[in-house]
Amino acid sequence: MFNPYGPSLKQPSEVTTVDGGEEKDWAAAKAFFDNLKTNKPRPPKPRFAVTIAVSSRTLFNMVAERKIYEEEGVEKYVAHQVEHESEPLKPGAAFPFVQALMNVNSRLRELYPDSEELFDIVLMTNNHAQVGVRLINSINHYDLTIERFCMTGGKSPIGYLKAYMTNLYLSKDSEKVTEAIEEGIAAATMFMPETENELSDTQLRVAFDGDAVLFSDESEIIVKQHGLDTFFEHEKEFENKPLAQGPLKCFLEALGKLQRKFYAKNERLNCPIRTFLVTARSAASSGARVLKTLRSWGLEIDEALFLAGAPKGPLLQKIKPHIFFDDQMFHIEGAQELGTISAHVPYGIGQKYHRGKLIEQPAKKE
Amino acid sequence: MVSTIQNTDVKQKDADLAVVVAVTTRAVFESADDDGGDVYGVGVAFPLLQALHKVNERLLEESPAESLLFDVILITTDDEQQQQCSRITGSTRHYGLEVSRFCFSSQEDFTESLLKNNVQLFLTTDRNEALRASQNGVLSALLDQQLASCPSEQLRVMISGDAVLRPDTDPVPAGQKGAQSFSTQLGQMRQKFGIFNSPLSIVLVTLHGGRESCGDALRTLRSRGVSVDEAHCLAGAPRGPILSVLRSHFLLCDVVSCLEE
Repeated sequence: MFNPYGPSLKQPSEVTTVDGGEEKDWAAAKAFFDNLKTNKPRPPKPRFAVTIAVSSRTLFNMVAERKIYEEEGVEKYVAHQVEHESEPLKPGAAFPFVQALMNVNSRLRELYPDSEELFDIVLMTNNHAQVGVRLINSINHYDLTIERFCMTGGKSPIGYLKAYMTNLYLSKDSEKVTEAIEEGIAAATMFMPETENELSDTQLRVAFDGDAVLFSDESEIIVKQHGLDTFFEHEKEFENKPLAQGPLKCFLEALGKLQRKFYAKNERLNCPIRTFLVTARSAASSGARVLKTLRSWGLEIDEALFLAGAPKGPLLQKIKPHIFFDDQMFHIEGAQELGTISAHVPYGIGQKYHRGKLIEQPAKKE
Repeated sequence: MVSTIQNTDVKQKDADLAVVVAVTTRAVFESADDDGGDVYGVGVAFPLLQALHKVNERLLEESPAESLLFDVILITTDDEQQQQCSRITGSTRHYGLEVSRFCFSSQEDFTESLLKNNVQLFLTTDRNEALRASQNGVLSALLDQQLASCPSEQLRVMISGDAVLRPDTDPVPAGQKGAQSFSTQLGQMRQKFGIFNSPLSIVLVTLHGGRESCGDALRTLRSRGVSVDEAHCLAGAPRGPILSVLRSHFLLCDVVSCLEE
């Protein structure tokens, strides 16, 4: 059973006490940003924000540098980064997603100038602080609103993810992502497509798979172990029983709460956030349970697309999301092939199978 | 009255070249559940002393003739402790702590003792003591209860990014000289080790400013020969949760206001 850690939008009542020290730090930071000549927006209070943590390799394309790290070792890697620190890195898989988040923030600030309910983007990297100078220079180059970061110099990011009450963690390292999910933090491993589809610069578009992403893997277990027919019967029988929640349910919830802020100001038609459900379920037989589950959670999804087993790639190519979450590598690869930025959620029974066959489990690492 | 006793169990460091760190006996030895026995209990600063020792050990491994080492002295800062001379030296021997000297002074004259012994960093659990020492020109840092759960195999020193000044401020204010020279020495020690598996980690934390402040601090420190290992920029986020994950032994800050917070 998935135990969600980060509540979708953290309400003051859910946080124990706000001590005077916290308010002093906040006031000092506010004063700092208010005094800046550049008019940079100050980051929101973490307690109210939707915190997205991105790793350096998802924000920027560091494939060449990673090669140096793997082939020549950490000292050469750091020296290389320092030597090239005035050269901005190229954008990575999470870059369009981050830009789309920034756009939503601009729209939110227009409508609610005093609200702290915004996206807060935190750079969460294992990199050594000396590499940080190049990362900061690159962030400056693209003028991204990223003011918070943790450069852990090799230490695990999990503790810091919790300290920031992270709502979503994106990384290239599947081990870290798995660990985050086990700790109750929504997380996914990002994959860059060969060619990229052209994405909207006015609307954040997020696509989710259903089972084992928004919902638990309970139904997927039935498919894998008992086959499709049993699955259809089961879903029909339990149509009115809500599925249990999956690792990304809370993130969808957070998006929904921000969407409602636009609806409240009559901006439904012009809302800069749009969500999609892209599921292999079919509308006729097993789709109803999914819609009823979402309704029972009080969640809306803008478009629900039931593929009845058809490949997801072509449909995603039309949707053009800034990010697509799925638990099965088969779908991730299919999406990637047709230009969609994909994020693998390593959760549930789907991890033990590849293209329908049970994977031989290697001996567990010590 | 101030007196200094050498610890004959420990090889003395070269006073001119070593980095003299004074720690109060109250931080090192626990006297709360005192049963009046010969040996004190272990205090919050134990892992700190072990970590300082570890750095020295590794420095000597790299270079057996190394003189840039930590020179740790224990200092009493109240009259009561001043009377406990043999218990303090006995406890130090019992635990095999690498303390080269003991300074016995009272509340009135402990700052004199710090200056006489050329102390470059004074560590105490008492905020007033830290403020007094700082006001007398001795770089001070406050130790807190969290210290007891800090690592003993790696010394983790936090530097405040909000307080690191650019190199073009001239002349350097007196209060900052101590912190700058101490951090420079830390930087020199750090250079003797590789990126991974270092017994010393320098952590930059920017509490209020954003990435520009942090970037400036990284570059400024680098220009002083201090290569930072970890960097955290909070930009106003609550410090408690982050600091408890960081587990640094103390914060090096050249501004008195750091002690007053």
